[in-house]
Amino acid sequence: MKKAGLYVGLAILVLVALAAILAPWIAPHDPYAQDLNNRLAVPFWMEGTNPANLLGTDQLGRDYLSRLLYGARVSLIIGVLTVIVSGVIGITLGVLGGFFGGRVDDVVLFLITTRLAIPVVLVALAVVGLFGSSAVLVVTVLGLLLWDRFAVVARSTTMQVRGLDYVSAAWAAGCSTPRILLSEILPNILSHLAVVATLEMALAILLEASLSFLGLGVPPPLPSWGLMIAEGRDFMFFSAWVIWIPGIALFVLVLGINLLGDGLRDLVGGRA
Amino acid sequence: MTPAIEIRNLAKRFNVKQGFFGKPREVRAVDGVNLRLEEGATLGIVGESGCGKSTLAKLILGLLAPTEGDVLVAGQSLGALDRRARARLIQPVFQDPFSSLNPRRRVVDVVAMPLVAQGGLSGAEIRAQSLAMLERVGISAEMAGRYPAQLSGGQRQRVAIARALVLRPRILLCDEPTSALDVSVQAQILNLLAELRRDMGITTLFISHNLAVVEHVADAVAVMYLGRFVEYAPAKELFAAPRHPYTRALLASVLTPEPGLGVPDVGLGDAMPDPSNIPPGCRFHPRCPVAIARCSTEAPPLVGGAECHLLTP
Repeated sequence: MKKAGLYVGLAILVLVALAAILAPWIAPHDPYAQDLNNRLAVPFWMEGTNPANLLGTDQLGRDYLSRLLYGARVSLIIGVLTVIVSGVIGITLGVLGGFFGGRVDDVVLFLITTRLAIPVVLVALAVVGLFGSSAVLVVTVLGLLLWDRFAVVARSTTMQVRGLDYVSAAWAAGCSTPRILLSEILPNILSHLAVVATLEMALAILLEASLSFLGLGVPPPLPSWGLMIAEGRDFMFFSAWVIWIPGIALFVLVLGINLLGDGLRDLVGGRA
Repeated sequence: MTPAIEIRNLAKRFNVKQGFFGKPREVRAVDGVNLRLEEGATLGIVGESGCGKSTLAKLILGLLAPTEGDVLVAGQSLGALDRRARARLIQPVFQDPFSSLNPRRRVVDVVAMPLVAQGGLSGAEIRAQSLAMLERVGISAEMAGRYPAQLSGGQRQRVAIARALVLRPRILLCDEPTSALDVSVQAQILNLLAELRRDMGITTLFISHNLAVVEHVADAVAVMYLGRFVEYAPAKELFAAPRHPYTRALLASVLTPEPGLGVPDVGLGDAMPDPSNIPPGCRFHPRCPVAIARCSTEAPPLVGGAECHLLTP
């Protein structure tokens, strides 16, 4: 029963991942194909629906279900890539600071404080203003800005593990410092970092949606959930579903990832 | 003949700052330790908590850099050697087998680690040597595939011993290797250590606060007090006729299984030794039941293995 959240979260994430991977095969239409004669068709639970467009169409007559499925790809790819980029930066800094202490730790702490003083959305705004919007840019900006929690957690857990006897034993056994870091320290802090990874992924997905909504994320006509909400904004009073279908998708995905993170945290805490 | 291990005037001082405006205080954890041990011998190092036993162990292993002095193994200074060469000369067995084995590695990989770090051997050779060493300490090949969490305390300590011996070092440093184990398992581990020591001709430093264990395993005993060896004698002599008053107090403090006697009174008073404030003269005089006036001003000379004024004529 205590693990219900973990399984629900995992199920949601797997479902969305499957939708993203299988989008080209299960999407009923081309997500970019416009049909101006069939604009803003209503979804299946409303009167006058067209069975060919299960979730209706948007203001350009593009099939909403297909766009939603392809949109899952954008969200997940950006989420995963951001976590990888920020994880590599944050874990490297945190482990080095926690393991060596002293001057190295001072530098790492300074970098973390500096990073915490930088507002993410503001920097993203400035960078997109300079270079124009693209998915690669979103990943780069988010990856370079969201590593602080990785660094903090990696640093404190490394400090805990560093003093244990098996690290001393590895030292006395003649292991090189990189080997100690990679095979003695890292595997033992990974479970804590997995929890951070889920939090950061949820945050990255939300930020991508926010940036896309502001027109600073992925460029149209790419089907991003944030972009779908932005494009539907003008029609929300008469065709509300164009907002809340991608909105619910986003909510459910982020909820799932957070449930997974919570479950993982309980699992890690229970063993430590 | 060069001794297997020689320690020359080894000292470690830490500077500890107390509070933000506190004056830094110097903690003399190890304060001038000298030692010579012949090949194949076993030295027991005893002393109460906080006397510097563990710091001494870390210095000998090279986990801490000494402030002064030198450790020589087979005539080579450990400070001048790189980590891998040092690993071939000296290996540790730690106290707590629950924190001395990496929980994310299989037993066979734990034992293989020193060989992997040395390099130059193929994966198959490393595995074969590790399994052979595990077999020797009584861990079957079937258990070698498990994780440390699946083993008992005694089995884990066997694995730790296998890891220490897989490189066939000259010196084995055991830092309280049995004090975290059940009494029933302690004897097994001690017998295993004795057997391996005999077969492989390893010189052993055995750090412990358990006098019975030390009497059982050691050829010679060093008694440590506030960072110094106050008495250093062959085990038989030391247990039969302790010379230093601190050694006598330690021997008197051993609990007997007889009921009703309570905790023995050793006549040391309740002044705790403080390595950041070592008394002048003889470092033991504030607690010594037989101290004389000279003890508080003058450091005692080393006479016949013990540092005490009462032993000088």
